[in-house]
Amino acid sequence: MKKSATEQARQNAGATRLGGTGIGLRSPHYGELLARERCADWLEAHSENYFGDGGYDLHVLTRLRERYPISLHGVGLALGSAAGYSARHLQRLAALVRRIEPSLVSEHLCWGAVDGRVLNDLLPLPMTREALELMCGRVAEMQDVLQRRVLIENVSSYVRFAGDEYDEAGFLNELARRSGCGILLDVNNLYVNQLNHGDDAAAQIDAIAPQHVGEIHLAGHLVTELAVIDHHGTRVSDAVWVLYERAIAHCGYVPTLIEWDTDVPELDVLIDEAATARQRCAAQRSRDVRAA
Amino acid sequence: MSALLERVQADFAAALAESSAASALMPALVRDDARVADRLALYRGNVSAAWQKALANAYPVVRALVGDEFFGGLARAYGRAHPSTSGDLNRFGARFGEFIDAFEHTRALPYLGDVAALEWIVHVAHYAADPVALTRERIGSLPPEELLMARFALHPACAWLPSQFPVASIWLAHQPQPTVGLPESLDRGELPLVVRPRWRVEVLVSSRGELAALTRLREGGDIEAAITAGLQAEPGFAFPKALVRWLDCAILVDQPAAMIVSNKNQ
Repeated sequence: MKKSATEQARQNAGATRLGGTGIGLRSPHYGELLARERCADWLEAHSENYFGDGGYDLHVLTRLRERYPISLHGVGLALGSAAGYSARHLQRLAALVRRIEPSLVSEHLCWGAVDGRVLNDLLPLPMTREALELMCGRVAEMQDVLQRRVLIENVSSYVRFAGDEYDEAGFLNELARRSGCGILLDVNNLYVNQLNHGDDAAAQIDAIAPQHVGEIHLAGHLVTELAVIDHHGTRVSDAVWVLYERAIAHCGYVPTLIEWDTDVPELDVLIDEAATARQRCAAQRSRDVRAA
Repeated sequence: MSALLERVQADFAAALAESSAASALMPALVRDDARVADRLALYRGNVSAAWQKALANAYPVVRALVGDEFFGGLARAYGRAHPSTSGDLNRFGARFGEFIDAFEHTRALPYLGDVAALEWIVHVAHYAADPVALTRERIGSLPPEELLMARFALHPACAWLPSQFPVASIWLAHQPQPTVGLPESLDRGELPLVVRPRWRVEVLVSSRGELAALTRLREGGDIEAAITAGLQAEPGFAFPKALVRWLDCAILVDQPAAMIVSNKNQ
């Protein structure tokens, strides 16, 4: 008999834990990752890039899976779309999950489609009870189909809704509590939203329920006159590193990912950023020891 | 269940499609920042950037032929005419070739639609399944009379698209290390054959006989029927040469067991 999503989530909570610092898997690095020694604790792949029946991308991911724990990070399910999301998309993800047996599976707190028309962007949801109801149902369906707990990530946004009834931390906490999902805390996105909307990113981190946080994302952003954009095209900023230390002090040493999507640099730059994350964790550890 | 949310999202999507439609969405947004309309335009830009990136990924030769700027306009026009229907952007652009054929601003490039159609087949071939291809040893082990009666499936990446333009040559001339130059004349057709020997998709120039033979095999015919079809289409069709090429390019695979059984029952 199929387990309920909540039961499954409870069972998976321990088993799916990854350790240490991962880097995003990007096609320019395929050759080097296959050729060299293990150079990251784990890899995170964008699920949709591996939805084919076969071919080179899936071949590379399958080979790398032999050496690295894999996290599958979806960008296309658009769970919060009120008009509906694609059951076929979820089935394709389920097939990939069966094939790769990843350590983590994640998606975004966003919407992206209206009746059959897909906008292919991570669009912000109003932080309302109505949206929370919808997301709780959708996350439960996703966990039922995948038969595992998933993590849901906070997104950055350029606009805010007038009818918001929760802040981001409050919404994510409720979503995690009710659906059994975990939280993928994107610290850069919290900082981007602080700059775009005047949120207090540090207060949001402090308000997150630490027991639900299963992964942290770090990436670079782009400051423009109009808005700050999470383009994932530079190193992590100093302000975000400070927030990261706050996040691990609050949540513990959660698996942390270095993301890079625009102007993807040499693999060594990602490895170097991952080393910085590790140093920040070590510094926090020694502070913990001194405090004890 | 989510009536209000559904309306806000419909208004949001309309505002991204047309800036003039943004006024319906405005009451739903926090407007303490005067730049909110411009920020909506960022999302509008994201959507067309996503279309353009996906199309540029699938259609590098079309992009090289028309230039970045024109390609951007083409991508926006295509996205409006054929909105994305999948969260997987690798599926976006399936009808780009037929769109180009009907697009008034590309009429001066009558071959462009066929180049696009070929690139889509190449794109799809990249993600096709990885069956184990027939080896020379396996074929070599068959006595001639058994070979004639053998039926094989074609590799799922294998596809062809006859054109009245030399589109295979155009495609080949735009590869990173081209072994051929651009065709001197556009006044001859070509029969491009898309194959994927291992992981890299290749485009070959085929012949009437070869395509007739492959068509027969795909329809479930045996090798003898394929040879007959090849010779009918092209009196000079050389089957042994074609077979070597099919094996080198991993075009032939064993039929799934169920299909062999049903063929035997026929």
